[in-house]
Amino acid sequence: MSTEVVTSSQQIVMDTTFWAATLIFFLSYVVIMTEKVHKTVVAIVGAGLVLILKILDQHEAFHIEELGVDWNVIFLLISMMIIINLMRPTGIFEYIAIKSAKWGKGDPFRILAIFAIVTAVLSAFLDNVTTVLLITPVTLLIAEALEVEPEPYLISCALASNIGGTATLIGDPPNIMIASKAQLNFMDFILHLTPIVIIIMFFYIFAIWLIWGRKLRTREELKRRIMEMKEREAIKDPLMLKKSLFVLSLVLLGFVFHGLLHYPPATIALFGAGLLLLLSNTHEPHHILAEVEWPTIFFFIGLFIIVGAVVKVGFIKLMSLKILELTQGDLFLTSMVIMWFSAFASAIVDNIPYVATMNPLIIDMARELWPNLSGIQLLQHPQLMPVWWSLALGACLGGNGSAIGASANVIVVGISEKAGRKITFLRFMLYGMPIMIMTVILSTIYVWLRYYVFQF
Amino acid sequence: MKAKDIMIPLEDYLTPENTLKEAVNLLRTAKMGEERVGVKGLPVLDEKGRLVGMLSMRDILKAVFPFYLSMMDLGEFTWDGMVESLAKKVANKKVKEIMSKQVITVPEDAPLMECIDHMLKHNIKRLPVVNKEGKVVGMIYERDVFFAVTKAMLEENNGG
Repeated sequence: MSTEVVTSSQQIVMDTTFWAATLIFFLSYVVIMTEKVHKTVVAIVGAGLVLILKILDQHEAFHIEELGVDWNVIFLLISMMIIINLMRPTGIFEYIAIKSAKWGKGDPFRILAIFAIVTAVLSAFLDNVTTVLLITPVTLLIAEALEVEPEPYLISCALASNIGGTATLIGDPPNIMIASKAQLNFMDFILHLTPIVIIIMFFYIFAIWLIWGRKLRTREELKRRIMEMKEREAIKDPLMLKKSLFVLSLVLLGFVFHGLLHYPPATIALFGAGLLLLLSNTHEPHHILAEVEWPTIFFFIGLFIIVGAVVKVGFIKLMSLKILELTQGDLFLTSMVIMWFSAFASAIVDNIPYVATMNPLIIDMARELWPNLSGIQLLQHPQLMPVWWSLALGACLGGNGSAIGASANVIVVGISEKAGRKITFLRFMLYGMPIMIMTVILSTIYVWLRYYVFQF
Repeated sequence: MKAKDIMIPLEDYLTPENTLKEAVNLLRTAKMGEERVGVKGLPVLDEKGRLVGMLSMRDILKAVFPFYLSMMDLGEFTWDGMVESLAKKVANKKVKEIMSKQVITVPEDAPLMECIDHMLKHNIKRLPVVNKEGKVVGMIYERDVFFAVTKAMLEENNGG
């Protein structure tokens, strides 16, 4: 059990510490947005300032979950990265991508649609950046083979990965953070978010057909280039592949049952990573561990501490009171405001710091509403659940709104530039923003119908 | 022996505005010593004769090789005719777009060992030699450095 540090009776004192914490928080956000300094550096410097100014003491930052680093998030991310790094050299991802292209029988639109679905499914289980890095090289090769524009494939890859990532606990960092804070398990996400993501994908496929369906044409002889590819040749290490698939199945099974078994997701993932490292017979784990996205990990660590500081001084509580004032305690209105605000906020700022801030805010709000409850009764109050789902949907799907809305988009734009056909900021928005609005409208209808009309 | 003793005086060079088509043509016919046998790399000089880059065979292969193939193991999934069609696509690119911009040079009176040092440490096969004004006056090729080495070995053997 984590220690209850912030209680609903906490008095907010606007002293020097309050303003110092708030200033560090806002300055960090502004500098992250301007991209003048690398976001990880900003987060580490911000966290350093919080500690050196004694806004949080080191014990609070490192060991109190509500104020400092959420190790469940950190270890879940690291462990999943290790598993994927061990799997990559087997060639499984090349195999899946080439196989998908062949399913599409060389038809450019069918391939586009199948790639969107494959990307969404992979993103639901891997992080979105990894998925995009695995899929885009193949899409560029396919576009080259079919002599069609690569742009639709690149844009669709980013959009589909953000949609797919919304579906599960491990699909997108906001979900990992929300799950950890609200103590939600893998199956909660499968039951509450996966259905709407499947619905969204149907609409998405229809939307990309309207946008690109009739424009993508190729010649019969070019289709043969795809059909002649032998996907089996992609598998480089069949034995390691078997071991990886065994461990991955074990981890997924663990995720499905982690709620029942009372294991937090990070425990499952860390066990899986350890097991696969052992099975891989590696004598030199150095390069596998070095390939972990350490800048991302330290970005999280820094942010947790910066946000912890504004939680401790009561700034977050102040914000939550303002929201309640605005919506007058109407939780349907709160859900909707949070979903739409999150969507537009995530289209502009990184959704990781955004959700890191919103999580404690929602918990504070819950404390105001139900001062007598605590623990899981408070965090998973039936009336609070739609608010969590709205936050997840808004923050994840909002990433599609602009070229900088999600890391997957940034990667895709970078790749398009390397390919000599840069997707501009406005060009991305031209497709991303309408898709974002469509998906958030669908989510709005879903949340309204499921939690407020039919209430199941 | 010094750099200027084994360098081949500069005759052929490229400009940043040359197209790759023009560049490969010159690479194929450039002088190497006395003969027009072609070279594997040429210096790129701007209109004032200043060295701005080097263009080698490898740079041209890199220009044809799609970057996405290096992101994943996809070499098996390429097709016959891919290289030819990509080569045509990049034929009109400018030399300045693909040349190596960081060039290691040696002064005229650099000792031979300095040349070998650069070649081994930076894995390069050609070194432009520059005079005091910074102008390129010649090129040192790996082959010629090697000849200098063999010559010394054989001389010693003869003497002993």
